[in-house]
Amino acid sequence: MRPTPEQLSIEELTVRFGGMTAVDNLSLHAPAGKITGLIGPNGAGKTTTFNACSGFVNAVHGTVRLGAAELNPLGAASRAKRGLGRTFQRMELWGSFTVGENVALGVECAFAAQRPWSQLVGTRQHQRQAARSAGDAIDRCGLGEVAHRRAADLSTGQRRLVELARAIASPFCFLMLDEPSSGLDGPETEHFGRVLTEFVKDTDVGVLLVEHDMALVGSICSYLYVLDFGSLIFEAPTEQVMRSEVVRAAYLGTESMGSGQPQAEVSLDV
Amino acid sequence: MKDLAPFIVSGIFDGSIYALAAIGLVLTFRISGIFNFAHGTLAAASAYTFYRLRVSDHMPWPVAAAITVMAVGLLGGLVLERIAYWLADAPAVLRVVATVGLLAAISSFLTGYFGPRALIMPPFLPRSELVVDDVHIGADAMISFAVALAATVGLYLFFKRTRMGAAMQAVVDDAPLVALQGISPDLVRRVAWAIGSSFVSISGILLAPKIGADVNILTLLVITAFGVAAVGAFSNLALTFAGGIAVGIVMNVLSYKTSNVSSYALQQLYLNVPFIVLVVALVAIPRRHLIERGVQRVRRATPAPSLQMGVNVAGIGAATLAALLIPAFVGPKINQYSAAGAYVIIFASIALLVWTSGEVSLAQMSFAAIGAATYGHALQHHFPWLISLALSGLVLVPIAALVAVPARRLSGLYVAVLTFGFGLLVQQMFFRSPLMFGNQNFLAVDRPKPFNGLVDTNGDKTYYYVVVVVAALSLVAATAVRRVRLGRLLRAFGDSPLALTAHGINTTTMGVSAFCVSAFLAGIGGALLAGVTSSASGVSFDFTISLSMIAVLVASTALTLGRRMPITASIIASVVFVVLKVYISNSFYVRYQGVIFGSVALAVACAPGILAAHGGLQRGWMARLSDPGPLARGNSSSHPVEVAR
Repeated sequence: MRPTPEQLSIEELTVRFGGMTAVDNLSLHAPAGKITGLIGPNGAGKTTTFNACSGFVNAVHGTVRLGAAELNPLGAASRAKRGLGRTFQRMELWGSFTVGENVALGVECAFAAQRPWSQLVGTRQHQRQAARSAGDAIDRCGLGEVAHRRAADLSTGQRRLVELARAIASPFCFLMLDEPSSGLDGPETEHFGRVLTEFVKDTDVGVLLVEHDMALVGSICSYLYVLDFGSLIFEAPTEQVMRSEVVRAAYLGTESMGSGQPQAEVSLDV
Repeated sequence: MKDLAPFIVSGIFDGSIYALAAIGLVLTFRISGIFNFAHGTLAAASAYTFYRLRVSDHMPWPVAAAITVMAVGLLGGLVLERIAYWLADAPAVLRVVATVGLLAAISSFLTGYFGPRALIMPPFLPRSELVVDDVHIGADAMISFAVALAATVGLYLFFKRTRMGAAMQAVVDDAPLVALQGISPDLVRRVAWAIGSSFVSISGILLAPKIGADVNILTLLVITAFGVAAVGAFSNLALTFAGGIAVGIVMNVLSYKTSNVSSYALQQLYLNVPFIVLVVALVAIPRRHLIERGVQRVRRATPAPSLQMGVNVAGIGAATLAALLIPAFVGPKINQYSAAGAYVIIFASIALLVWTSGEVSLAQMSFAAIGAATYGHALQHHFPWLISLALSGLVLVPIAALVAVPARRLSGLYVAVLTFGFGLLVQQMFFRSPLMFGNQNFLAVDRPKPFNGLVDTNGDKTYYYVVVVVAALSLVAATAVRRVRLGRLLRAFGDSPLALTAHGINTTTMGVSAFCVSAFLAGIGGALLAGVTSSASGVSFDFTISLSMIAVLVASTALTLGRRMPITASIIASVVFVVLKVYISNSFYVRYQGVIFGSVALAVACAPGILAAHGGLQRGWMARLSDPGPLARGNSSSHPVEVAR
């Protein structure tokens, strides 16, 4: 059911809000089967980049491609329909639904989006398929015990996992995750990292990750892009970025430079 | 062209008063994000108060006007500011319900206290005339214009020259930042509401000698004001004033030009110019200007858990039994129960929207009227009963889509605004047209003869059972809509529309589908309602009934303890709205029932905010209707909701 995984390419993307340039001429390549990180301080333009890629804000210049398909002419819903999935920095769950229903409805949306009248009723086959995909994702994320509880009643950490489960259950061919570990404690973050890594390994789906937990970024991302004031200031494989004096001075603080260790505990307000 | 001059001149003067009301609306809307549907009712309250002081108590008009503006404008504004405060983080549906409840309550009070007839207001401004090129210009018109212009210019200077004026604009953008400057955002909001309400109060006083103290007409000033405000993109004062003048001129000239045409709809077209302007503006103005301003990101409602299956089954069983036994006990009152059955369907059509996509339609009785007229005409053309009934719903599908599409481009608030205007348009332009009830505003509607006349429904009891069966089927259909994919998507839309879009769902298509289903049900309800009296008329489908129904439906949720129970709430609402009247003959109740319903609806809408603001009693059932907000409030920023990350 899942379509062929695709890479996400951004070329010379520029987004402006009035006179302010939020993203300036950004080019980025996130391959399938890898987790690519996008980091930077608060206001660097990471979420704006996500919003521009997913069609929630308009870019004034630049191209967004999913595989070979150019996404620029499409609206937000059409981009998702093409297979570009995303989560939100501020969680967007269907709070009155149970965890199981949330994840299954995410899958069902793919069926409902096929044609305008598909929104009216679904077939039993679709429902079975949605339930199966949802069950797999719930198991993968370890949410079995809370599957019948309403999403609104869960802790922040659990809700983050529900959002992840919904994203990985849905037939997206590329995922953009916006601060998915925000609100998770240490063990939950580790669990989250494992789930995501295994998912990417099993499905070959590419992930673009905005994250402020540098320990998580260091452990699961293969390549990092560093943004500041909307501009790309550094890009390299993760180890190289972690060692970069420029990046560390800019984002991890000057004290960390003396220790010679990446400041995994430093929580950047990305 | 010369023959138009008097109409252009009088349009300028009328338009300046509309502009005054519109500027008041813009001010309060921008500062709070609350679109006050009771804005026109404040004008009505001012006209009645002024009438009482000036005509009944013989006060000099300047004293009467000053007291009226102080009492209705200033004090009313302060009360409204508190209501807006409690609604700050409430979902759009509760924001709409609150001010619609207020509208119903004030209208009912004015009608109950002063009587249903318009009060003739003698002129109070000088009547001398100036003649320019054969055009007579009254001193009263010039004074009205001068007052409106001075108020607009004064407000402009207030914004540009005073610290409070600058703070007023700043509060819209970033209230905490204003607080850091030592200015209380609450004080700024109070001043804005007081000014905005005073403006509409003055416009009510100025309009009173022209149209009398008439709650029905003055209440509609809100649509005129919104249409005029749309010309200024809901922000620009100068454009809003110019828009008022333009709308005034077009209305007056059109009134003259269409006065002799044969088409009733065309004759009434001028009344709907503001609504047409509003629709055009909502379609043409870029979306970013029309996002509900002054609104922080609203936290979505989290309803109480559903009842257990056993309780539901017992409830359905009891309701069915009661429905079957009613004819045996109610005697000649059976027709009221038949009407209640038809109203259950119309209430369910509203509830379907409120409890799924979280939107409010204020035109359900107009949809019901179209359904009733279609049904009547189809029967007169000898269509079989069942097909006529189906047509009464089906005819509304394209009409509802036409209304919903421009509204869906924006937020839930605009669905309410557009349906408000649409309801008016149908009533003013089409009720007396041959398409609907004709010149006499009356259409004979035969009772159905199901199964080729085998079932004779001329008997009231038989017709009651027909209504019960159709109502039961409609409720099953409404329940089914909630349970099939569309229902799931609509519920999800109520929780997080953003997540739906991010999963590929075109929420416009989905919302339009729900709106069409809702209108379909309202049409069926209207047809059945017409059958009760074997007639349909504009009176029984008056537009304002829709507003009362919203208030009653939301007030009824107090008895479902905040649960999403649209069917139960619809049945309760119908009993309260139709059946109670039969048994309560107390004149106080009859005169002021709208005050009760409107007040309860207002209380239900404000309750979560009040609870949150006074002690954090957030675990109660009312708090579940919407998450508490004012505690955490402070930033009433105007960030567009979907990109505020």
